[in-house]
Amino acid sequence: MKSINNSVRVRTAIAAAVQGALLSLAPARPAPAAEPASGAEAVAQLTQPSGELEVGAGDVTKGSYKFGEYNGLEHEGLFPILNFDLSGGGSYDSDSVRRWDVRGADLGVAARELSLDYREQGKFRIDLGFDQLRHNISDSYQTPYLGTGSNTLHLPLNWLKPSVPQANATNLNDRALSPVTGLASAVTPAGAVVPPTAAQRAQVIAILGADVPDFQRYNLYTQRLRWGGGFGVDLSRHWQFTANMRQERRYGTQPLGAISSAIQENSVILPEPIDTETDQYEAGFHYAADKGFLDVGYYGSMFLNRVKAITWDDPADRTRTATMSSAPSNQFHQVNLAGGYSVSPNTRLSVSGSYGRSTQNDPFLSDTSLPLGLPETSADALVVSRNLDVKLSARPTRAVRLLAAYKYDDHDNRTNVARFVFYDVNLAKGAAASSFNGALGLPAGTLSSNVNIFNNRPHSRRLNQLDLNADYAPTRAQSFALGYQWQGIKRHCHNTWIDCENADTSNESTFRAEWRARFLDTLETRIAYAFANRTVAYNSNAWLALVPMANVVPGAPTAGATTSVYGYLTQTGLTGFGPLAGFPASPLTGAAALFSPNNNIVPQSLYGSRDNDSELPGLRRFNVADRRRNKLRSSLDWQASERLALQGGFEYNRDEYEHSTYGLLQARGWALSLEGDYRLNDDFELPVFYTHEDQRSRSAGDGFGTNTNAAFVGRAGNTLVSGGCYATVLAKNLNGKMDPCLIWSTDMRERADTLGLTLARKGLKGGRLDLAGDLVYTWARTDIGVSGGSYANNPFALAGAPVLAPGVPAVFFIPATDLPTVATRTLQVRLRAQYAVGRSSQVNLLAAYERLRSSDFAYDGMQFGSGTEQLPTNERPFSYSLAVFGISFIHRLW
Amino acid sequence: MPAFVLLAWVSANACGQEAPAQIDRGLKGDAVCTRCHDETEAKPVLSIYKTPHGVKADERTPGCQSCHGPSEAHVKNPKGSSTRPPVDVDYGPRTTAHAQAETCLKCHAGGQRAHWAGSEHERRDVPCTACHLIHAAHDRVMNSITQQETCFACHKTQRAQTHRISTHPLAAGEMACSDCHNPHGSAGPVLMVKNSVNETCYTCHAERRGPFLWSHQPVDEDCTTCHTPHGSNNTALLKARTPWLCQECHTADHSGPINSGANLPGGNATTVNGTLPLANQNPRSQTNARNCLSCHAMIHGSNHPAGARFSR
Repeated sequence: MKSINNSVRVRTAIAAAVQGALLSLAPARPAPAAEPASGAEAVAQLTQPSGELEVGAGDVTKGSYKFGEYNGLEHEGLFPILNFDLSGGGSYDSDSVRRWDVRGADLGVAARELSLDYREQGKFRIDLGFDQLRHNISDSYQTPYLGTGSNTLHLPLNWLKPSVPQANATNLNDRALSPVTGLASAVTPAGAVVPPTAAQRAQVIAILGADVPDFQRYNLYTQRLRWGGGFGVDLSRHWQFTANMRQERRYGTQPLGAISSAIQENSVILPEPIDTETDQYEAGFHYAADKGFLDVGYYGSMFLNRVKAITWDDPADRTRTATMSSAPSNQFHQVNLAGGYSVSPNTRLSVSGSYGRSTQNDPFLSDTSLPLGLPETSADALVVSRNLDVKLSARPTRAVRLLAAYKYDDHDNRTNVARFVFYDVNLAKGAAASSFNGALGLPAGTLSSNVNIFNNRPHSRRLNQLDLNADYAPTRAQSFALGYQWQGIKRHCHNTWIDCENADTSNESTFRAEWRARFLDTLETRIAYAFANRTVAYNSNAWLALVPMANVVPGAPTAGATTSVYGYLTQTGLTGFGPLAGFPASPLTGAAALFSPNNNIVPQSLYGSRDNDSELPGLRRFNVADRRRNKLRSSLDWQASERLALQGGFEYNRDEYEHSTYGLLQARGWALSLEGDYRLNDDFELPVFYTHEDQRSRSAGDGFGTNTNAAFVGRAGNTLVSGGCYATVLAKNLNGKMDPCLIWSTDMRERADTLGLTLARKGLKGGRLDLAGDLVYTWARTDIGVSGGSYANNPFALAGAPVLAPGVPAVFFIPATDLPTVATRTLQVRLRAQYAVGRSSQVNLLAAYERLRSSDFAYDGMQFGSGTEQLPTNERPFSYSLAVFGISFIHRLW
Repeated sequence: MPAFVLLAWVSANACGQEAPAQIDRGLKGDAVCTRCHDETEAKPVLSIYKTPHGVKADERTPGCQSCHGPSEAHVKNPKGSSTRPPVDVDYGPRTTAHAQAETCLKCHAGGQRAHWAGSEHERRDVPCTACHLIHAAHDRVMNSITQQETCFACHKTQRAQTHRISTHPLAAGEMACSDCHNPHGSAGPVLMVKNSVNETCYTCHAERRGPFLWSHQPVDEDCTTCHTPHGSNNTALLKARTPWLCQECHTADHSGPINSGANLPGGNATTVNGTLPLANQNPRSQTNARNCLSCHAMIHGSNHPAGARFSR
């Protein structure tokens, strides 16, 4: 069956040579020769160091950021082609061990690579390298901010707060940036639909005139520049020392979402400046002998971020600013040890271990959102990682192979826990005093009830894993394998006041079986199945570790609570969601009042958080939830004839989160791959492949409301509900937290078809011409089906409006509708011709066509007037059609 | 201390690396083979002399028979048959993958191959020559641009995923499979080059390493909880679209309500079944645009004292 693998490798080689390395043309491939070389020449070409240079030019017919996402060809027009591959040093039959290589690839574009390697084999080697990688993100992004590229972003002086005065004269609303939605009719508080007044029109027009021209296109991209070098010294026959380093500078801008104002929950997408440097070092001693080896080494990674923060004006009030911190500089140092020993000719033991320290101590930013200042000046964060891996493999008989492995992986976060008190971005201190001023020893009124009092949670994780595998091959043509794996994970946080982890312990057992067989030397098949069962002790109240005030009896409980939130939850066995009961006849008192207004969720003011952090009872975060996992893998390889090879592969995965009521409930998927390779002879072949992948996931949630005994909306007569599970507003409100119509589910399905075709024809024109071409078509789409719904008030059910006519609903139930399909279609066609000119030269011709069409509803919410609470960026889905042509001359220098 | 014990143990058992005495690893020995396997071969074996295996002045380099065995029957063809008997070690179906690997590991143990024994590829009988072209002047699996050709010959689903709209720069040849995976085995999962998925990702994304003041538990634990590295229909290589990906774990406060087509601009919720005038429409922000990440942008961790919700 190796012939099948070989043929497939040849196919992919052609495909990638044309498409992947678009501009790295010649050096990796032997050039056809126009004139047959003599025997001596042919031998020399095969055995002697050589040098090749490629020079040419190409043209891109249309600029596209997406086409040039990584290949440096985002601009329309000409570009140079320059590659070289030079080798030198002694000949194989000389007494010299000196060799060197200098290579350059894609030197004409911003994806260039350059490397140099000098070595005296058996003595030492030195290598140097440079690599540039540009990543294009968006060329349709627009922003009104001045100072793009820096970390201080101001709105222009003429900036007016976007608002729709006919709907709300004061609230920020980006609909004002569109003449359609900004000047549309609105519902007045009196329940009338009226067009904007002249004054309101003037205000919107002024906003449009001031703000819209402020939006300027700003291209978002990042660039990585890497320099590296290394050397190795052979200290003796058995000992070697190696060291290498790599420095990477990354700069540019990328999009960053930021809350511009927590007052109205608005956000902006900022052009975040990037200016970082990462230095990585490795050094080690290596010992190798017949029966064993030993490696001792060091790895260090130092990350430096020169942008410490980004500051921007609030679009609702350009005199106010907000600040966000950037990723902090950090360091990682690790010592590694690995060894292996052949206990016997058929038994091998290998051990590796490492000890690492990850640190971060960037000074904290401080601003007016911190009413009590900083509890400490920096995190002084430390994570100690320890890893041990032991494997013992044995072949007691020719037919039997055994493996036992143990793995220990400890991620010990020793960062100090401290209390951080803050208001959300640009949020003013509220009128009501915090319940915890007294408990914190603060004067009454120091903190208001909309303050956040949080503790950080340094997550730690310790993994133990045991693997046992046995393979039995009764014949050369057939084998069976059985395996068992146990994995236990313990999680914790140092110094949090309560267990911080949803799953402090999880255990997973995996059973594996595999059968492989070969028939008649032309047919090979493999079927593998694995079943895993993960059990977790799930703790729904772990979120309380974030809010230390949950363990404090409120000093001035606004709802009459007599114990702490945690105390009450512990007593009752409830979660922060509260009991699933209807609205009680009379308000609950005492500790029960912690669920306010009675039987609802825990009020934020009683645990010191502006947002509700609790989760639904029955939610299991999927990465730490009970899970049953099934995996099937199969493949069939058939060498149908000397010319035709066929392959098929099928994968199936199914994860069931059997004890989860909400969150991810199930994920399943399958993939089918088919390949065929027709090879007429060494000069002509036609491989084809097709892959279909189908991934589905199902999750659920609950858009529960608040239990109240309110019986109408706006006016007393507005009581009817249209659709949903309740007929009246009162019934709906009494059951706000247990309304089955608000339970929703999502069925997300992602499918992709990929078709590839390659045609290669060599040896035309008397051996001078090679042709190759390939086509890849991809059709990927995402469908999201949703069930459930939500309620929306009739916009005319207002206190100041007339009572709705009899039979007119005060509340509508809005059934969920499926999301529009997100689809991407990509077609790539690439053709190449290599024509030999003389014995040492060739001409390469390249023609490529690419087309991409994508549709994505996410972009609809980024446009002027879309009405989302996000400042528009006017970005568009990627779409392009273009061609690339190239011609280059390759000359063999020696 | 354990390092020294292990070192002493290994050193005491070292046997040296000299080739068997009967093998002539020099050109004279090679000539036994190259007098037939010359420049006319369809797959020229002579190119090996351009590789480190062909540096004859280095006394460690092998000769043809070092790897293929003395192969006397093949060389002498004592029965005079038209098809010569095969060489002792032919790196084809006749020779087990284990035997092939043992030949290579005589010189290439340790380093990148430290975890070969018991690794995924070793257990599935993938021979070294399934990936490496020993005689070729340029072994394409050692070239970052062409390496994926070899890997995708077996890993076809991953090949297809690299053609999605959101990918790492694999198809552009700016990244190699071996930047993340060590095909010879490793201490990490799925042949990661480092001890864990995250440690591997941090080699290029060190800004995600922290440790942060406010850490996000699944981020700390495994990047692939949310990301699928080979390619995705969703931007930033996410396994599923946001906000639904976020809602797989978060159902509190504003992450609880439904996000459906009705919440899009012009959707049924926006228009309240057609009764809400245009200027009052307000599609749900969490469903649109960058949704959750419009505000919780520091989702990998925040170091701002007020960044507990990953929004500063």
